[in-house]
Amino acid sequence: MKLLVIEDEHSLLQSILEYFTQEDFRCEGVATYSDAIKRIDYFDYDCIILDINLPDGSGLKLLEDLRKSKKDDGVIIISARDSLDDKIVGLNYGADDYLTKPFHLSELNARIKALIRRKYTKGVDILEVGNLKVNLSSRTVTYNDRSVALTKNEYDLLAYLLNNKNRVVDKQAIAEHIYGDQTDNMPSFDFVYSHVKNLKKKLKDKGCEDLIQTVYGLGYKLTI
Amino acid sequence: MSIKLLQRNTRFLLVWLPVVLLICSGIFFVMLRMHTQHMQEKQLLLKQMNIWKAFVDKAGNIEKHIEGEYDIVEEAGALHNVVDEPMDTVLYYEVGKKSLPFTMLTKKLSWNNENYLLTTYTSSREISHLVIKVFTTEAVILLLLLIAIVVLNQISSRALWKPFFSTMQKLDDFDVTKSQSVKLPSETGTKEFDELNKVVEGMVANTNTAYHNQKQFVENASHEMQTPLAIIRSKLELLINQPNLTERNASLLADISEANNRLSQMNRILLLLAKIENNQFPETESVNLSGLLKKLIAEFKNHYDDFPETTMNIKDDVMLNANRSLIDIMVTNLLKNAIVHNKPLGKIKITLNQSNLLIENTGSSLTINPDELFERFKKGSHETKTTGLGLALVRQICNLYQFTATYSYDNDWHRISVTFA
Repeated sequence: MKLLVIEDEHSLLQSILEYFTQEDFRCEGVATYSDAIKRIDYFDYDCIILDINLPDGSGLKLLEDLRKSKKDDGVIIISARDSLDDKIVGLNYGADDYLTKPFHLSELNARIKALIRRKYTKGVDILEVGNLKVNLSSRTVTYNDRSVALTKNEYDLLAYLLNNKNRVVDKQAIAEHIYGDQTDNMPSFDFVYSHVKNLKKKLKDKGCEDLIQTVYGLGYKLTI
Repeated sequence: MSIKLLQRNTRFLLVWLPVVLLICSGIFFVMLRMHTQHMQEKQLLLKQMNIWKAFVDKAGNIEKHIEGEYDIVEEAGALHNVVDEPMDTVLYYEVGKKSLPFTMLTKKLSWNNENYLLTTYTSSREISHLVIKVFTTEAVILLLLLIAIVVLNQISSRALWKPFFSTMQKLDDFDVTKSQSVKLPSETGTKEFDELNKVVEGMVANTNTAYHNQKQFVENASHEMQTPLAIIRSKLELLINQPNLTERNASLLADISEANNRLSQMNRILLLLAKIENNQFPETESVNLSGLLKKLIAEFKNHYDDFPETTMNIKDDVMLNANRSLIDIMVTNLLKNAIVHNKPLGKIKITLNQSNLLIENTGSSLTINPDELFERFKKGSHETKTTGLGLALVRQICNLYQFTATYSYDNDWHRISVTFA
């Protein structure tokens, strides 16, 4: 999978590139509008991570050009602007998703994977990890062909951890993924702990053990 | 105690004008008396001259005595001293059986080696009547003058101060948060007011600029902070995924991560506050507050394992015309406030009717002045996990829709009430 990251903040660009190289993406990063235009003209990407505020032009203009030339690379906008209007404008220009800074890399990862699956998977979309099967279309989970009944939150949690498999995922990232804007109103992230506990118990009941580990006080990791 | 300028002016005039007018009347009276006395003296002298001329011409063959007119007395004996000045006297009239006041003048004269005393009389009653009449007239005129001055002063003051009051009214209507400019007339006809208006306009413009800059600063600062926060967050995620992470390092990272999350949250709320202030939520719709409230309470109950015991008295279908997400934010923050600042095994009471939303919760009293509770970064407790911005956000939204948010504390219960319209 080929990924192009267009972000003028060098440090952030480096983080994104490092994170996604570990995810087995072929990553390229550019920091300016002009560099980005050249890359887009010559190559096709599975997904483009696009910052709107670039030093020599607007990311939105770039997006417009891209769609005009009939390229259907997936585009996820990352922006410091978080108003609903900005999101609507971005999506109208043909972006597939919109993420507000500061975001979690694990969230960006989940969004990219969802985007790529939407683009390339025809028909039933199933994530398989050993005997664990997660049907993303019908939002159902089976282990050894036995159905595991999960609540919406537990399902979201499992799918999120699967998308970020073999990585430590921050508690806050999980909370924000599950509750979105409501996260600010949480007194603590203890509910993440209880969701994980319930999920682990349900999986264990079906014979699937030790899939999810707690990493000190930091977060959780799904190891395969 | 201050009173109105107009009243002060009138009061001043009413105290001092009568004093001045009284003194003037006194002077006028004295002058009038002096002039009348002088006139009487002249009349008596003229009469004296005429009668003596007639006496000499007729060789003494005229009436020696006419009551109220003159007396000619042949002076036989020694000359007694005669005062050559008018004197007051009283003559008795048989006819009216009454005494009347007269002024008389006596002069010693000689004719044919005989000495005579000629006394002429003139009535002083008419003169004093005249003096009284003139003086009364004058008093009436002065009184009218006094009234006229006070009334004219009132009328002219009202007209003259009009530009001042209209300027004051405009300043009273001025609200810096609405960033409206104040337009004042530059030609009022009074130089002082022209200058006042000029100064006021300048000040309003400066205030607006300062306020705008401050708002802009908060918004820009919050925006600019998003990127560094994103960098810290991304580096932290890379760090926690490093192999051979020790427990010690993990706990350090967990603390950094938590602090960074709080910073992001605060920044997000500051940005939201700035946006509300800058009127970036213009679209409004009819929001069913009852439904929203019930939905949010249910959500909170899901999220919080130890949700306080709740008493609800929610009237159905209370509608508000406002921005849905802002009302959502307001109610969420109020509920969160009631949960976070509650005591263990505490209680919450929620009452909603057509005009008022009342949220009460148990808890220990505030450590800050209750008036400051809705200010930014004012926390009623030392709970470090809160941002101190929740109620500031509530007030900002209330201000936007002209709701009134008030706080009171009574007997272990905190009460926050939001009154609509």
